Amino acid sequence: MFEHGDDVIERDDFCSLAPIGWLHHKMQDSFFLVVGTGSCQGFLQTALGVMIFAQPRFGTAVLDEDDLGGADPLTGLLPVAREVVTRHQPAAIFLASTCTPEILKMNIAGCAAPLEREFGVRVYPVRMDGFDAAYTQGEDHVLTSMIERAPQTAEKNLVILGCLSAVEEAEIRLECAAMGLPVPAFLPGESALDVPAIGKNTTLVPVHPYLAGACAYAKRERECAVPQVVFPYGPDGARAFYEALAAAFGKTVSYEARERETWAACEAELATLRGRSIAFCADAMLELSLARTLRAAGCRIPFVATPSISRKFHGKESALLEGVEVLERPDRFAVFERLSADHPDLVVANLNIANPLEGMGFNVKWSTELTFQPIHGFSGARALFALFASALRRHDALDRSRGAVGGTGRPIDLAFFREETHRTRAAV
Amino acid sequence: MKLAVWSYQAPAHVGVSKAASSFADVHTILRAPKGDGYGTIMLAMFERLGVTPPLTVAAMSEATLAGAPADIGRTILEVDRRHAPRLIVVTRSATALVLQEPLEGEIGMIPAGTVRAEVMQASTHPVRDNEISAFAKTVREVVDRCAQDGHPRTKEPSVNIIGPSLLGFHDHSNVASLRRMFADIGVEVNAVLPLGATMDDLQGVGKAWVNVSTALELALPTMELLRERFGTPFVADVPYGEIGTARFLQEVTNLLEIPHDRIRNAARDAKLSWFARTVDAHALSGKRVGVFGMPSAAAGIARFLRDELDMRVEFVGTFVLEYGDWLRERTKDLTDSFVITDDFEEVARAIDQTRPDIVFGSQMERHSSSRYGVPCAVVSPPAHILNFPLGYAPMLGFDGANHLGDIVNQTQVLGLEHHLIETFGPRGQGRFAEAAPEGVDQAEPPSGSDLTWDAQAERLIKRIPFFVRKKARANIEKYARERGLRTIEESTVLAAREHLGG
Repeated sequence: MFEHGDDVIERDDFCSLAPIGWLHHKMQDSFFLVVGTGSCQGFLQTALGVMIFAQPRFGTAVLDEDDLGGADPLTGLLPVAREVVTRHQPAAIFLASTCTPEILKMNIAGCAAPLEREFGVRVYPVRMDGFDAAYTQGEDHVLTSMIERAPQTAEKNLVILGCLSAVEEAEIRLECAAMGLPVPAFLPGESALDVPAIGKNTTLVPVHPYLAGACAYAKRERECAVPQVVFPYGPDGARAFYEALAAAFGKTVSYEARERETWAACEAELATLRGRSIAFCADAMLELSLARTLRAAGCRIPFVATPSISRKFHGKESALLEGVEVLERPDRFAVFERLSADHPDLVVANLNIANPLEGMGFNVKWSTELTFQPIHGFSGARALFALFASALRRHDALDRSRGAVGGTGRPIDLAFFREETHRTRAAV
Repeated sequence: MKLAVWSYQAPAHVGVSKAASSFADVHTILRAPKGDGYGTIMLAMFERLGVTPPLTVAAMSEATLAGAPADIGRTILEVDRRHAPRLIVVTRSATALVLQEPLEGEIGMIPAGTVRAEVMQASTHPVRDNEISAFAKTVREVVDRCAQDGHPRTKEPSVNIIGPSLLGFHDHSNVASLRRMFADIGVEVNAVLPLGATMDDLQGVGKAWVNVSTALELALPTMELLRERFGTPFVADVPYGEIGTARFLQEVTNLLEIPHDRIRNAARDAKLSWFARTVDAHALSGKRVGVFGMPSAAAGIARFLRDELDMRVEFVGTFVLEYGDWLRERTKDLTDSFVITDDFEEVARAIDQTRPDIVFGSQMERHSSSRYGVPCAVVSPPAHILNFPLGYAPMLGFDGANHLGDIVNQTQVLGLEHHLIETFGPRGQGRFAEAAPEGVDQAEPPSGSDLTWDAQAERLIKRIPFFVRKKARANIEKYARERGLRTIEESTVLAAREHLGG
């Protein structure tokens, strides 16, 4: 149906600035100062529009022609940072360099220290550009920069890495206590200044599949332990995650019963999911983990597309997906071609192509939601399955209502706007 | 550098994409980092497109940073194969501009005959142009490239409608409204540009007798081009309001040399001018409004509110700075206060300082107005998903005037309702009500007066609606004092009323 070349022509991804949406929300005393073009500002406005109306703790220092012409970025940044400090009094500023400063090799990171000295506010230099494999990696870069500022320690401690909601953190804290592990510290915490100590006796455990960079950095610079984990999505993922946590501290704990209980608690959703086929378009790098738990829940997974796979970091997840075809960094049309062949019951896709896929006759679950809903751990399992089950139920219900009459509408395309179309429709 | 959290206009490449991708047979290739391609999400989400938008991002990568060529030729070949457009418009974002890639050279090196579509590069500047100027220039460039000379004018009088696009403000409805209106006066619509225009439409764009627009700032360069190339006259006015639409159609019928009386036919469903005479609308007189938005919308709606509803224009303004003088000139008889700025805080200050009864603005003014408790009607982009209604909600033409009337009605407290509340109190107890709503009497401060009210006079005054009672009491006491009375009786109240009126 679709021809495609060897290389990627079209991808469906957002800018890595997108995680500012949940990160500035988590760290209530932060300010994200993006150094970029009007396009960066436009993206933030479009993606996080609702938040703009509430005195947002993020903004763009828009580069003008002088800046592009090679002016010292610090000169331009000083007044902008002063405005930010005066208006918002943040505890810390994340100074984000974007594509344009990277291309021009502007030393934005080098401005962090002078700005910090000038205003007495911590400044984290972060690279948040659009050259990443997936937009979620913006969080990876932010956490890397925070780890750089982590105090050294020789103590044996546990750091949970990745932005989580309070309920998700609470579960991990309770489970660690039950297992007799050290009280976990979370990065990021509620404050942008809240950076736990990391040293060679630290165990750093990532909870998201898109944090390979921060983990590699911590391991290299702090010689801490980073156990390879299955990410805590779904009852199977949560069990493997906690058992790996215990193992990292030399303990053997079985979560077998707990996993069974959680599966049982999810039965209402599982009943809807069982036997249905769900395919994943490449998006936030959550795809392998979500496909793994949905397969365990009884779904058929015709294929999983994902923007990037790290052999080591995703090793355990990949192993658990044995038998499922995985497309790494595919072209949009290669995925469409596969969808046309498999015609799954549900397609998980981001907002770029969600409506077009519905227009092609697929049932779509929009994936962006999966990055900000609390779906980690045992307590998040039911919410996770509910996101997919409710999408299926909704499509089933609408199909039933249409029943014998069938759908009367047709998807909007450019022909829709022609007068003939309207005339023909009126005539029918 | 300048700190920005929100802006009225998107960058130029979004304007190019909006314009080019709105044509039915045109595909846009944007050379940019992937993040700059968020226009595809806007197209897919706001327009609810059931097809992938005709916009492909030729994404820059780490390899680009390391010096790899753009290889735009490969993207063009693939787009040509996959989407089979008739024309491919290549543009770039500010980031790509910085890289100074020789796109033109790469395009030139595509072997002849390998690409079926024509390929052109948009001439807009990614930094110096903005969304609106880039949109207007791109429509002009595509039209200039595709329009063919030598077509005769259509047999029947006809117009091109220039300006409507994907992501345009209520444009689906605007086009329907204008098509219906032109059909009613016996005028063909030769082409709508760029929304849905095919290559045939583009080639035959010179066949129209007259060009009209849905927004001058989006259409002027194209209308000027068509005047130069085909001698086609254009109408600069945009049909806002009922009288505004009639005036617009007079100009159109003059240019087309067709009878004016056809306008009556087109106006047969127009209700606005009658609405303005009905009792409901009487309360609108003198209501103070602030109007801010796209230049044509701001000018048209401010005039509509003043001329057709007798409202008072406190200020008028636009964020399209290059149209500031145009707007001043167009509306100088309506107000002497102009807000020409692209800083939303400055508009918010104007709202705060003038506290109009209603603001007509963009989604940002809706937000700013709510800060001050001022009602706001959204009549201009920047838009919200709510400005992409499923139903018929035109802003232009006679149907648009009806809809604008509804918007005014829905935004402010209804005229007659307002009147009744003022007269009888919010509980609707009627004029014989004994007491004010609970709590009100108690809340009424003691008059602290040296005068005594007897029981009958007191009963009488309590029948006056509570929110004017205090004033009435003071007036009556003033009347009594002037006449040296110490006690106010029923007769004093009646005499005072007779003397003071009310």
